Amino acid sequence: MNVAATTDDTEHAEHTDAPSTASPPPRRRGGGIALAVSVFGELLITAGLVLGLFVVYSLWWTNVIADRKADQQGDKVRDTWAQEDTGPGALDTKNGIGFLHVPAMKNGEVLVEKGTSSKILNDGVAGYYTDPVKATLPMSGKDGNFSLAAHRDGHGAKFHNIDKLKKGDPIVFETRDNWYVYTVYAVLPETSKYNVEVLGGIPKESGKKKAGKYITLTTCTPVYTSRYRYVVWGELERVEKVDAERTPPKELG
Amino acid sequence: MYGWIWRHLPGNALMKALISIVLVLAVVYVLFQYVFPWAEPLLPFNDVTVDNQ
Repeated sequence: MNVAATTDDTEHAEHTDAPSTASPPPRRRGGGIALAVSVFGELLITAGLVLGLFVVYSLWWTNVIADRKADQQGDKVRDTWAQEDTGPGALDTKNGIGFLHVPAMKNGEVLVEKGTSSKILNDGVAGYYTDPVKATLPMSGKDGNFSLAAHRDGHGAKFHNIDKLKKGDPIVFETRDNWYVYTVYAVLPETSKYNVEVLGGIPKESGKKKAGKYITLTTCTPVYTSRYRYVVWGELERVEKVDAERTPPKELG
Repeated sequence: MYGWIWRHLPGNALMKALISIVLVLAVVYVLFQYVFPWAEPLLPFNDVTVDNQ
């Protein structure tokens, strides 16, 4: 009996004791450390949201802006071409020299402009190299390498599908007067960004030894990064005169 | 931080919610228009050319 009573007592004592010690509720607000932690946590959440927005910006918004710009500039070029008064050979390189059509990339026409600075390329166009190796333009009729660069992601992502290009695929470059039809003959899926040899007049890495009329497309790889460069080489197959209806060559049909 | 902002917004809950949305949109606009274009070239995600540098 006594034993039971004592255990009862202790149990009872514990029961009453527990709430009494917890009776002043723990302060959830106002504590200096708690406040600091909560502000820090909110800053982390904010940082996460900002980074997420940056991804949205990079992969979506820059495309919207760039496509708009490229359309405007492309329309301007076509307008200039439509005007008869620019004599043959007259070349306005300010707004772009022509359009690149690569059916395998399924991205329509890509305006080509002079230069590969990000200011140029961010307008959703492809740029031909002026530095470190000057591109040889197909209109010049000379042997050489028509080297181009465009974005893989964001800013129009004009070369996003460069990995879909296989040997034998056509690359067509359209100017005011001519269609230049190139055929892909070599692909370099990964190379150093310092490898300027790929732009050479005779790109040796592609296996060519003799001078010829080549085209080189460069962009970054793997997607969403700039660690390496992806290079595609083509060789001029033929040149077609543009007719009155601007009928595209059969490769684009 | 956000709790503090919420408490200092004027008006009732609906008003506060509206002001919050406007503030969020303003922040997004500033980020997209000024901050991200500035930050992008500093980050190594979009260099597509080969060069000597």
